[in-house]
Amino acid sequence: MNEELLHKYLNNEITEAELKQLKASDSFRDYIQISELTSQMQTPVFNKDNAWKMLSEKTKKQPKVISLFNYKNLLKYAAVLVLIVTGFLYVTNLDTSVSAAIAEKKSFTLPDQSEVVLNAGSEIEYHKNSWKKNRELTLDGEAYFKVAKGKKFDVKTNQGVVSVVGTEFNVQSRGAHFHVTCYEGKVAVAFNDNSVQLSAGDSVIIEDGEIVSQQKVSTLQPGWMFDESSFDNKPLEWVVEELQRQYTVSVSLENVDTNSRFTGAFTHTNLEAALKTICMPLGLKYTINQNGNITIYGAN
Amino acid sequence: MSEHDTVCKESVYNKLFQTLSPSIYNFIYFKCGNVAQSEDLVQEAFIKLWENCAKVPQAKAKSFLYTVCNNSFLNEVAHQKVVLKFTKKATPHINEQSPQYVLEEKEFEQKLQKALSNLTEAQRTAFLMNRIEGKKYREIAEILEISVKAVEKRMSQALESLRKEIKNI
Repeated sequence: MNEELLHKYLNNEITEAELKQLKASDSFRDYIQISELTSQMQTPVFNKDNAWKMLSEKTKKQPKVISLFNYKNLLKYAAVLVLIVTGFLYVTNLDTSVSAAIAEKKSFTLPDQSEVVLNAGSEIEYHKNSWKKNRELTLDGEAYFKVAKGKKFDVKTNQGVVSVVGTEFNVQSRGAHFHVTCYEGKVAVAFNDNSVQLSAGDSVIIEDGEIVSQQKVSTLQPGWMFDESSFDNKPLEWVVEELQRQYTVSVSLENVDTNSRFTGAFTHTNLEAALKTICMPLGLKYTINQNGNITIYGAN
Repeated sequence: MSEHDTVCKESVYNKLFQTLSPSIYNFIYFKCGNVAQSEDLVQEAFIKLWENCAKVPQAKAKSFLYTVCNNSFLNEVAHQKVVLKFTKKATPHINEQSPQYVLEEKEFEQKLQKALSNLTEAQRTAFLMNRIEGKKYREIAEILEISVKAVEKRMSQALESLRKEIKNI
């Protein structure tokens, strides 16, 4: 009750009678005395005019600035930043791809210093960032590998997977034709649920998932590394396809027995010589027209 | 917000300063008991109000100022030990005061000043806003952003501890 009256008193809402009642209590009389005495106090003088003068000087010197960096702009910057970062992450996580165009050979090293030479019209894709964990690449075409020592190294092609441990080998994967030659070390070729082990000097040709032939090679590196394409009893069409990969020419056949097969090698450096080496043994003739297009035709 | 409402208008801004700056000054002084600091914080608060004049409607200016002051007080001053000094208002004296009474009153006053400095910042601010500035509980509650009940509690607690300290209980 008295507590309530005290607050009434402090809020200046008390009646005379109530005040009398409140003062009857010792402690409340003290409260009132303290309250009254405090009311007579004042804070050190605040010089309003002076303060205003100083304030106006400051506010005049500071023209109102509307910040460019309100939160809407900030959102824009944030969005751009997010785009850049995700773009960067996307690009760095993309597969690295190396390709050799027609009439071009390309050699490069993988992140672990393994050497790769790409033959004309071929492409390799691999993952740069995870290369250390996962030595795996995808090949379309033909390439020669000199693999650095290390764990498993896989070459994936449409026809199958070639797995190696520290070797030199050649992989040719063109259409349905899959040709792997091992020059050093050991290679495992997996295809169609089958697998073949190749030692140094072994070569295997797989067509449509079947082993067509297994041979020994005596060379230390594939012929194309020395600018030469060699063939062992291959259909003429094959040879022409390879010719069109090594030279920027288009070749048409006229009146030619498509079953004829070719054994031999042609150079990548001289078109005339290459044409001669292909045509002469088979008794064929060729012409080169103004556009550089080549026609090979039969002797009759 | 209509044009005449905006604090960016000098006359409006000046009027706000004239009416509010003494209270704001007291408010900070009650908290920290330092004249220079109180003056600085008043100035700072009004500069902030000027910078944000487009965003603060006139009706909100008062609470804006108090909030800014409270925040900067908490940031820089709150940890310092406070000693408040008050002057006494010239009050018409009743003639027949014995020297004994005058002496006793003076002693009481000194004790009171010391006791006020020893209150908690929350109690002191509420108590002095009521006593020195004559603000009603409702207004204090609004400024401090607390309930009227809480103001009552702070007042009671303030009185209780002042009495205890003065009477040496």
